[in-house]
Amino acid sequence: MSETQKDFEPKIVGFLCNWCAYAGADLAGVSRIQYPPNIRVIRVMCSGRIDPAFILEALKNGADGVLVAGCHLPSDCHYLSGNFKALRRVMLLKKVLKDFGIEPERVRLEWVSASEGDKFAAVVRDMVEQIKKLGPNPLKMEAKK
Amino acid sequence: MANGKVGAVLVVGGGVAGIQAALDLADSGFKVYMVDESPSIGGVMAQLDKTFPTNDCSMCILAPKLVAAGRHPNISLITNSEVLGLSGEAGNFEVKIRKRSRYINEEKCNGCGLCAQKCPVEAIDTYNKGLTDRSAVYVEFPQAVPLRYKIDREKCIGCKTCQEVCKANAVEYDQKDSEITLKVGAVILAPGFEPFDARLKSEYGYGRYANVVTSIEFERILSASGPYGGIVLRPSDGEIPRKIAFVQCVGSRDAQLGNLYCSAACCMYSIKEAIIAKEHVPTKLDCTIFYMDIRAYGKEFDAYYKRAQEEYGIRFVRSRVASITEDPATGNLFVHYVGEDETPRVEEFDMVVLSTGMQPPKNVEKLAKALGIKLNKYKFCETGAFTPLETSKPGVFVCGAFSSPKDIPESVAQASGAAAKAMAIIAPERGKLVAVKEYPPERDVSQEEPRIGVFICHCGINIGGIVRVPEVVEYAKTLPNVVYAEDNLYTCSDDTQKRIREKIKEYNLNRVVVASCTPRTHEPLFRETVREAGLNPYLFEMANIRDQCSWVHMHEPDAATEKAKDLVRSVVAKARLLKPLKNPTVNVTPAALVIGGGVAGMTAALELANQGFEVHLVEREKELGGHLRKIYYLLEGEDPQDHLQKLVKAVMENRLIHVYLGAEVVEVSGFVGNFKSKIRLNNGEEKQVEHGVVIVATGAVEYKPKEYLYGVDPRVLTQHELEEKIAKGRFNARKVVMIQCVGARNEERPNCARICCGQAIKNALKIKELDPDAEVYILYKDVRSYGFKEEYYREAANKGVIFINYSDDRKPKVSNEGGKLKVSFYEPVLKQEIQIQPDIVVLSAATIPNPDNKRIAEMLKVPLTKDGFFLEAHMKLRPVDFQTDGVFLCGMAHSPKYIDESIAQACAAAARAATILSKKVLEMEGIVAKVDEDLCSGCKICESLCPYGAIEMLEKEGKTVAHVIEALCKGCGVCGTACPTKAIVLGHFTTEEILAQVRAIMREMEVAAK
Amino acid sequence: MSQDSHPPRIVCFMCNWAFCEEEMRIPYNVDVIRVMCIGRMDPALVLETFIKGFEGVMLVGCKPPDCHFVDGNLHAERAVKMLKKLLALAGLEPERLKLLLVAPLEERAFSHYAKEFSEEIWRLGNSPLKKDEFIANLTAAKEAASAFRLRVLLGREEELTEFMNAYGEKIPEEEFDALLDDVVKAEYIRYKIHYLTRIKPRSVKELAQILGLKPFAVLRHITNMRRKGMIALDRVEGYTPLYKALEVR
Repeated sequence: MSETQKDFEPKIVGFLCNWCAYAGADLAGVSRIQYPPNIRVIRVMCSGRIDPAFILEALKNGADGVLVAGCHLPSDCHYLSGNFKALRRVMLLKKVLKDFGIEPERVRLEWVSASEGDKFAAVVRDMVEQIKKLGPNPLKMEAKK
Repeated sequence: MANGKVGAVLVVGGGVAGIQAALDLADSGFKVYMVDESPSIGGVMAQLDKTFPTNDCSMCILAPKLVAAGRHPNISLITNSEVLGLSGEAGNFEVKIRKRSRYINEEKCNGCGLCAQKCPVEAIDTYNKGLTDRSAVYVEFPQAVPLRYKIDREKCIGCKTCQEVCKANAVEYDQKDSEITLKVGAVILAPGFEPFDARLKSEYGYGRYANVVTSIEFERILSASGPYGGIVLRPSDGEIPRKIAFVQCVGSRDAQLGNLYCSAACCMYSIKEAIIAKEHVPTKLDCTIFYMDIRAYGKEFDAYYKRAQEEYGIRFVRSRVASITEDPATGNLFVHYVGEDETPRVEEFDMVVLSTGMQPPKNVEKLAKALGIKLNKYKFCETGAFTPLETSKPGVFVCGAFSSPKDIPESVAQASGAAAKAMAIIAPERGKLVAVKEYPPERDVSQEEPRIGVFICHCGINIGGIVRVPEVVEYAKTLPNVVYAEDNLYTCSDDTQKRIREKIKEYNLNRVVVASCTPRTHEPLFRETVREAGLNPYLFEMANIRDQCSWVHMHEPDAATEKAKDLVRSVVAKARLLKPLKNPTVNVTPAALVIGGGVAGMTAALELANQGFEVHLVEREKELGGHLRKIYYLLEGEDPQDHLQKLVKAVMENRLIHVYLGAEVVEVSGFVGNFKSKIRLNNGEEKQVEHGVVIVATGAVEYKPKEYLYGVDPRVLTQHELEEKIAKGRFNARKVVMIQCVGARNEERPNCARICCGQAIKNALKIKELDPDAEVYILYKDVRSYGFKEEYYREAANKGVIFINYSDDRKPKVSNEGGKLKVSFYEPVLKQEIQIQPDIVVLSAATIPNPDNKRIAEMLKVPLTKDGFFLEAHMKLRPVDFQTDGVFLCGMAHSPKYIDESIAQACAAAARAATILSKKVLEMEGIVAKVDEDLCSGCKICESLCPYGAIEMLEKEGKTVAHVIEALCKGCGVCGTACPTKAIVLGHFTTEEILAQVRAIMREMEVAAK
Repeated sequence: MSQDSHPPRIVCFMCNWAFCEEEMRIPYNVDVIRVMCIGRMDPALVLETFIKGFEGVMLVGCKPPDCHFVDGNLHAERAVKMLKKLLALAGLEPERLKLLLVAPLEERAFSHYAKEFSEEIWRLGNSPLKKDEFIANLTAAKEAASAFRLRVLLGREEELTEFMNAYGEKIPEEEFDALLDDVVKAEYIRYKIHYLTRIKPRSVKELAQILGLKPFAVLRHITNMRRKGMIALDRVEGYTPLYKALEVR
C-alpha cells in the first residue's frame, strides 16, 4: 500500500443531468475555469434517472466519491420534478451507506444550473479536497487486503 | 404556382444572419438560394475567436449552423457569386446572378486539399487578415462550407500542378463566369458589414506601425486556429506583449470622417478581446481600454463589463486618443491622449488594438442599384422604426448589420424576423419547391457483433494542444469491439462527416463514437451523419473531452490525456450495448398561444396570422398595446400612437387572431405541437385552447424609483411621466435635470436598462424644441446611444443640452431646501461640486422585468435570468428560442429594448414558431421509455411518478400493464429508476448501459492507481 | 580552402556527349564526373558538392540545338540561374558555378576551359564565410533547392514563359523571374530558420539577428512554416516564445 494521504488522488464519478448540471460543466469549460482532473462524468437526461444502484456500483468498483448534480430546486428541472426524486433517493442512500462502512460524505448531491460553470468547478474542487481528507474508499482498501 | 407566387427565397449574404434566415425558411417548407460573394459562408463570425458575454468559442457555435446550412436539402449555396439584378414584384421576382469562376468544379472537388499542399505560389491570407499567407488554390478556413477549393486567379501562374495532383479531376482552368436566373418570391438581404479601413485614421499609424492592429486582426491573433496558434504576439518581433491598449471608436462617432454613428458592438468585443488576451497570455498582461462611453447596453453585458474590471483587472480610461507614435527601436507605441482631467498624457504600450467600426458592405451601391433599394446617408440600408426589416422595395427584406451596426444576437433575431416577413408573402407556396430528405434504408444490425468506430477530434488545438490525441486513438484501438479509430483536426467539419460515412461502409461499423466537444451541441450533427450512412441514429455516442477535459485541465496534459482515455472507454462500453430507436411522431395543431398583447405580442400574432396560422392572443390588461401606449413620440420622428392604433386595428380585424382581454393564461400542458392551455377570461370563466406553440411576450415595467425624492416631491418624475406631460401639453419647466441609471447598473440590478439614454435624449430634444432656451442637464454614467441613435446625442449636445458624467462613488444628490428642488453633483472637468435648482428632476428609471414572469416561467418550465427576465436557449445564436421545444419569447420579456428591436424579435419568434406550425407531423426525439409487459407487475408507481402523464395503465390479456404515450414522454427516465421489477426502461440510457459506463470508468482507474 | 596552399578543388559534371576527345587531359585539381545529360543534374547535388568542400563547380553540356535529349541544355540554363540566386543568398560568389555549353566539334580542348575556370576560382580566393555559417547557408540552400515549390517552378518555367500556361497565356520572362526570386528567397530563409532551430530552439528576435532580417519578416516566415508543419512552438521563456524545427516529411 503505497497510497499515502499525501499523494492520494481520489477518483470521482459524476452523474450529471443533461439540462442544468452537464450544461454548467460545459460552461466551466467554455469559460476555461480550471478544476482538478479527478472527476469522470456520466451524462443522464435527468437527475431523476439516477438509480442508487449506479452510485453503489461506482463505490463498489472503487470510486472514492460520487457526485450527483441536477437542476436547482424547486422548479428548474427540465422534467418538472426529477430533481426532487433525486433528492429523496440520495438522502435515503446516504442513510444506508453507513451500514456498508462507507462515509456518507463520499456521495454528494448538488444543484448546478446551466449558468453556473464557476459553481460546478468549485464543487469539484471542494469535493476533491474533502475526499482527500477522508482518504481512499474503504471498500477498495478492503479488497486490496 | 396558381397565384403566380414562387415558394422560394433568395438570401443575399451567407454570414450568421443569412444562415439563420435560410435555415428558418428551409425548415418551414421553402426553397432557399443563398448567395455569397465569398467562396464559403460564415461571414465575419467565422473569423472571431470568442463571443461575448458567454465567451463561447465562435467557430464552435457557428460550425454546426454552417454544416446544417451546407447539408440542408432545401438550401442551395451559390457562393463566389453576386447579384446582378432583380425584376418582377413581391411574390414573383426574377433575379440574375453572376457565378464567378472558381476554376474548380464544385461538384467534383471533395475538399481533400492536396492541391493547396502542392501549389507553389503563395498569396496573402485574407481570412487571417493578412497576418500570414495561403496558397493560390485555397479554402478560406478548415471548416469552410462548402468545402470546395478555389483558385485565386490573381496569383495563379497556371502551372497546372494542382490539376496534376487532383485525384478528382476537379480543376478546370477554362471555367468561365456564368449567369443564372432564379425565380423567387421574396429576397432577404444580409450582406453584413465591412470593417472600417483603419488606414484612413492615419494619426493612429495603422499600416505604418507593425504593432498597431485592428480588432479583427486581433481576433485572428487570439484564435487557436490563427497565424500565431493562439499565443498573443507582437507582429513586429514575435514577443508576447506586456501591455496592450485598446482604442475605441476608430471609424465610429467621428465627425471628421462623417461617420457620426456608433458601431454598437465594439465596446463589448474589446472587453471580450481584453479578457481573452489575458487568458491566453501565460505571463502578466495589462490591458487598458481607451473609451468615450462604455456601451454595454445588452442583456447581461454590464455584468461582463464589471467582471472585466473587478476580476480581470482591465483598466478603463475615459478619453479620446489623439494620436499614436512609435519608438522605432523597440516597436513600442506611445498613446497620446487627454485624460479626464483635461491634461494631455502619453503612455507607452507594447501593442495597440484599434476597435474598428462597421461600414456598409463593399459594393453596396452596386447592390442597392441591382435590387432597387434605398440606402441611408451612411449607405446602410434604409429602414423605419416600425418596419425594421423592410427595405424601400416591397418583398425585399433586410437583416443584420446592413440595416445598422449591430451584434450577433440582434442580427440573428432580425434574420429570423426577415424570414417571417418573407414567409408571409409566399405562405400559400409552402412546401411546393422543397425536396424531401431521403435516407438510405436502415441497416439491421441486431444480429451483428458490435463493430465500433471511434473518431477523436483535435478541435484545432482546443483538444489536441492539451490532450495527446494520437495516444488516445491508439488506446481506443485496444478497447473491446473497437475495429477502427482515427483522429481529426475537426471532427465536425463537412469533410469529416464524409469520412465517417465512408469508414462506416469500409469497416462495416455498426456503432460510432466521437470524442470531441459536448453532445449538447454536436450530437444531432453526428446522428444525422450515421443515419446518412444507413445506421440508426441512436447507434452513436459521444465523449466530451473538450468542455469537460482539455479546457478545464489546461495545465495538466498527462492527467487530461488519462481522463480522455477514461471517458472514451466509458462511452465505448456504453456503445457496445446501444440499441436502435425509432423516432415517434406527433401531429401538430397549427395554432399559437401568444401571451402578452403589447407591440411584440401583437406583431408576433399578426405575422403568424399572415402566414395562415390561428392565434390566441392573451392580454392581462383591458386593452392591447402594453408599454407602447405610454410612448408618444420617437427619436426618429415616427408617430408611435398612430402605429399602435393601426396595429390594434389589424389585430382586432384579423379573423385568425382570437384576442382575450383582461385574461390570463393559468395552465399550460402538453408539449410541442400539442399544447392545451387554460385561459381565465375577464368574466372569470375558463376557456381551454389547443395550440402547437407558445410565444411569451409579457413585456416589462418601469421601475418605480425609491431614490432622489421620487414619490416625495411631485417635481421629481420619471421619463415616462415627463413624456406624458410633454405630449399632453402640460410641460412648462425651464430648467430640467435628468439623472440616468436610476434602478439600473447598481448592486441590486447590475445590468443596463438599454433604452433610458435614448429616452432622455428624446425628451431633452423635445424640451429644446418647445423652448430652445430651456436648460437641460443630463447626469450620466455612460451615454449609450448606440447605432444611429448617436446622431441624436450629438444633436442634443449641439442644441445646448449639457451632459455631465457622474460615477458611482459620487452620485448626484437631490434635496428639497426651503421648498426649492436642489441637485448637487460633482463636475469632473471643473473638478468641483455644482449645485443647480431645477424646476423638475427627471429620473431615467430602469425597465425592469414583469413581476408576473416568475409565475409564467414556472408554468412553462422555462428559466429566468438572475435579473428576472426570461432566459433564452442561447444568448448568441438562439435569441428567441427557449430550451423547451415549441416555446419562444420576444420583446421586453427578453430584456429592455426599443420598439424596432421588439418588432424584429416578434417577427423572429413568429418565424421560429412557423418552423413547427408549418409541419403537419413533427418527428420527435427517439429517447423514450418502453415497457416490458411480461415483467410489468402493474403496480402503477411509474404512472404516479411521471410528470408528463405519459404513462397510462392498460388491461392486456387479463393483466394490468403500464403503457407509454410516446409523444408525451420527454425521456427523463424517472419511471425506470423507480420501477421495482425493472420493466420500464428509458431507451439510450438503460440501466445496463449506465452500469457499463460506471464499471468501465472505474476499472482502468484502479489499474492507473497501482 | 586556403588560397596559398593548393589550387582550388573543382568538380566538373560533364555531359556524356560533350568533349568526345580521344584522350581528354584533365588538370589534377579537377574531378570530372560524367552524366548522361547535364539537364538532368539535380540542383541539390551541385550544392552538396560545395558543402563537401569543393570551391567551384562546372557544368558542361551541349550547345543548342545539339542536346542529345532535345532540351536538357536549356533546362540546365534555368537550373543554373536558380542555383546562382541561391548561392548569392547563401553568401557565396555565384561565379563559383559555371555552365559551359559546347558544340559537338568544339575547337578548344577541355583542359583549356578547365584551366580558365580554375584561374577564375583562384582569383575569387577563399569564401569569406566562417565554416559553420558556410555549412548552415549551403545546407539551407540545398534543402531549398530540393523543396517541392522550387522544383515545380523550375520544371514549369519553359512551358510558362515560352509557350503558354493553363489559361493560354504566356508569362513574361521578367515576371516569372521576379516570382522565382521571391520564392527562392523565401524558401532559402525558411530552410535556414529550419536549420537553425534544428540545432536548438530559438526566438524570432534571435533568428532575425542571425539572418540579418527584420523580426517582422521572420515571424511571417514562421507563421508559414507552422502552416506547413516545418516548425512548432517549443516553449515560452518569459515573454519570448522559442521555436523548434519539426522533421520535414
